[in-house]
Order: sequence, then structure tokens, then C-alpha cells
Amino acid sequence: MTRTVCIIGAAALPVGKWQKPADAPEQVLEHELLAGLVLDAVADAGVERGDIGAMAFSQCRPYTLQKYFATFMAHYLRLPCTGTVAEVLGNGMTAGLAFEQAANDILLGRARVALALGVNFESATSAAEHMMSSMRATGDVDFQVPFGITPIAWYAMDAARYIHEHASSRAELASVAVKNRAHAALNPIAQFRKPITLEDVLAQPMIVEPLGLFEVPPRGDGAVVLVLAEEDVARGLGRPYVRVRSRGFFHEGAHQISEVPNDMIRLISAETAGRTAYEAAGVGPADMDFAELYAPCTIVEVLASEALGLLPRGQGARAAAAGETSLGGRIPICTSGGLQSRGHPAYVTPFYSLFECAEQLRGRAGARQVPNARLGVTSAELGNYNAALVHVLEAVR
Amino acid sequence: MLEIIDIATPRAYPPRVSAFTRRFWSSLAEGRLETTRCTACQRFSFPPKQLCPHCWHREVAWAPLSGNGRLYAATAIHAAPLAFRAVAPYRVGIVDLDEGIRLACALLENLPLDSPVRLVVLRHPDGPLFAARSVG
Ligand SMILES: [Zn+2]
Repeated sequence: MTRTVCIIGAAALPVGKWQKPADAPEQVLEHELLAGLVLDAVADAGVERGDIGAMAFSQCRPYTLQKYFATFMAHYLRLPCTGTVAEVLGNGMTAGLAFEQAANDILLGRARVALALGVNFESATSAAEHMMSSMRATGDVDFQVPFGITPIAWYAMDAARYIHEHASSRAELASVAVKNRAHAALNPIAQFRKPITLEDVLAQPMIVEPLGLFEVPPRGDGAVVLVLAEEDVARGLGRPYVRVRSRGFFHEGAHQISEVPNDMIRLISAETAGRTAYEAAGVGPADMDFAELYAPCTIVEVLASEALGLLPRGQGARAAAAGETSLGGRIPICTSGGLQSRGHPAYVTPFYSLFECAEQLRGRAGARQVPNARLGVTSAELGNYNAALVHVLEAVR
Repeated sequence: MLEIIDIATPRAYPPRVSAFTRRFWSSLAEGRLETTRCTACQRFSFPPKQLCPHCWHREVAWAPLSGNGRLYAATAIHAAPLAFRAVAPYRVGIVDLDEGIRLACALLENLPLDSPVRLVVLRHPDGPLFAARSVG
């Protein structure tokens, strides 16, 4: 039988600095926060605890002391499962893959209701120390890391190339950060909500040229729980829900850069995964009412928007500067505030994107609601968009 | 032969050396840039690999590289990992070598993209690294 996966409930912690320093007398514990969110999300879904048959966790950061976190949580919640209980890891794509793991248990008939959930705590570790680890994830330890290439340095090189090839400018790219902050101002769970101007963005200290502090993601902690269900279950609940219309995935077979010279700023993974997802849903980019993209830096949002066909190639930065991707514009992008302002607790970031899609498609996004949002597209990625996971989501009301 | 530039300080993050990659680092220390080339399809790979990633042939041979290319992309890193704090800000770039190989490395100057560049050896007291600089 053909099954369809739906998102029927969701809960998310406001992104921020939740983690306490290791020597603080009182700690904020990951499992305590996440367990509360599970109850919130399940209540939001309107299902019973006994309906849940699977839990797919995004793996915690190494800074989380409790190991085997998934099975620890099964105990904490006293939740027997007939499907899978597992932790999933895949760099920035981690939560996207955990979402798929939960969805697959439903598609395979192993569970009628499944949780996709996770917590990312990292803010008590300084950026300089964290980068000692993260640069080993986004580069060859022996042939790239010795040059000190940090994760966002790769995106900075995308930005340099983009400006060079498309006669764009830092100011055009920086307009994406202004737009995202304006969206975040309307999002109660965003990490940074005070509106900023283009001058503010351009005045920030340089982080990786040509990107300054407001054009790269802040560090933060977060946790999200999504409740997924087979469509029969979703339909029976009598509430708005989100249908997962399609997915697309592509890994280009390269890590950060291809050793065979290619067009680095044409994100072939997002292009291919996007095409797969659109075709499977029988829709096109022009049918999307909004997009919630995994884009750590301003430039990445521009490149991903272009690769997903939402903006013309080489014109993405200009379109953002012209307001086309703002709320009220032609195609609102990252209505949550995006990774720069909503925040980027990396291992749960794709959950936050799906959370925003669920809010928009259930008509619950408040002041940032896209009117009559019916179809949305979301992406997750890893490396320098070496792989992309794209979902097309649909409102059912 | 690549130009060799002496650097007084040790490498911030020394690469590991294996029985296989020792050849690359030893040659580099003497000013020779080498990588592996497939004996079947004749294509280069970088970093050097024990098999050909292009055709999955198992036999490869070491081959010299000119070290000449052009600068494809570049940045300067101001927010640095702990090990690189002392040298921040520092430049890195992506270089397309004439042999059709793309690699990332240190960049010694602020150059416009698409500038011709050549690779040089940075001879640190604990071992070599490679970097790109302008031609001439
Ligand atoms: Zn070959």
C-alpha cells in the first residue's frame, strides 16, 4: 500500500544560549528540555502517547555528556517503540536525515506515528575551540585543515567567486542579513530579533572576507520535536496538518571542493535534489509560496535559492536586495529569520526549518504568516552544499 | 621545482603522514609537487590517492605537477580556530592547476580572482606546507 507521511505536531525551544559553562553550579540539561518539548509536540498533534512507534534523534554534539542519548530518552519518557529508536548524524544535514529516518519508519509500516527530535547544545564551548573540531568536519584533515580553513571560510570563497562572476557586491549579499533580521523580528523563537539596517551589517567586524559578523550564523543552542504520522492518522485528527509531498537527495561525490574543477557556485546538489523533489510532486519552483532553506551565510541563501529555481541564476543577491525574498515579496525566503537571525544550532537546524514550514502551512506563523501558504520547499545540506536534501511540503486544512 | 620559503614558526596544524603520503610530503620538502596519476585513464587526483577515483583502477603512479594555475576563489579568515589565532587574519584560496586539478591552500597575497598563481613550499621547522602566490 502507498503511504504518505505528514507532520501533525511540533514544538521548538527558542534558539539561544541555554548551555551553562561546565563549572557552573547549576546546569541546564538537554534531556530535561527535550522531554518537555515531546509532551508539547504530542499535545499539539493530538495523538496519544501509545500511538508513537518510533523516535529518530539528531545526534547530540560531543559537548552533551549523556551518551546513547536516544535510548536514554526512551527510558526517560518510558516509551516502548516497535519501529526504530536511533540517533542520526550527517553534518549540517543531521536533522534532515533524522526526519527521513522517522518518515521511513512510517513509510515501511513500522510505526503509524513517529517522533523526529533532537537537541543541540554547544554554546558553552568557545567558537575558537569549536572550530578546532568543525574544520575537521568540513575539510580534509591532512590536505585542507592545515591551512586553517574554517567551515564558513568555504562559503566566503563562494561569496568571493559570486561577486566576481556576477558583478554582485558585498552590500547586495548583506541585504539578505537585513531581510532575515526583519523576519526574525516577527518570530518569537528567533535568537536575534532587533531590526538592523544595511549600514549596521556593513559596519560589523570581518569574520571571513567578504562576510562580517551579521552575515554568518551566530552560535546557539536549540531543541525541536516534530510529530510525524501516516496520513490516515493525520486525517482522523481533524486539525490542519502538513503533507510531505516529495523529497529529493543528491550527493555530488565531493567533499568541500571537487578535485576536478567545476562551477563551485552552481550548487549541483541542490539543483538535482530540487528537480527530483519538484518532479516527484508534479510542481515547479514557481508554485512555491515560500522557501525555508539551510543557508548558514547570506551567500548560501542566494546560491541555494538560485539552484532551487526560486531566483534566476546570478540574480539572487540582486533580487534579495530588491525585496523579492522578503515577506510580502514575490517568494518569501527564510521567514523564520534564517540561520543568521533565527539561529543555527547546527545538528537541529533542519528541524527548525521544518518547524517553520509546519507553522506556515498550518497558518500559525502570526505576524510573519505568508497569506494562504499552500506549498513550501525546504533544504538541508552538508559541507559546501556537497549534498542536499529537499522536501516539498503541502498544507492540508 | 617550486620556490621554497622559510618560515620561522612550526605549522599551526601539522598534517599526518602515512606510509603512502610520505612520498608527497618528502617531495614537497625538496620543492617538488607530486600527486598520483592513474595508469589506466591517466587522470590526476588530489590529494594523492591509492586508487583512481575517476575509473576505480587500482594502479596509480606518482607524477610531477607544475604548480602553475589560476586563483579560483579566496578569502581572509579573521575569526580563527585556537591553533590559528596567532597567525590571524590569514588568507586561503582555491587554485585550479594547469593539469586540471583543483586544490585549496594558503594564499600569500591579496590577488584578484582568476589571476595566474604558482604554488610555493612553505618550509616550517617541523615540515612543509604549500601555498599560492602571484606569478613574477
Ligand atoms: Zn583512472
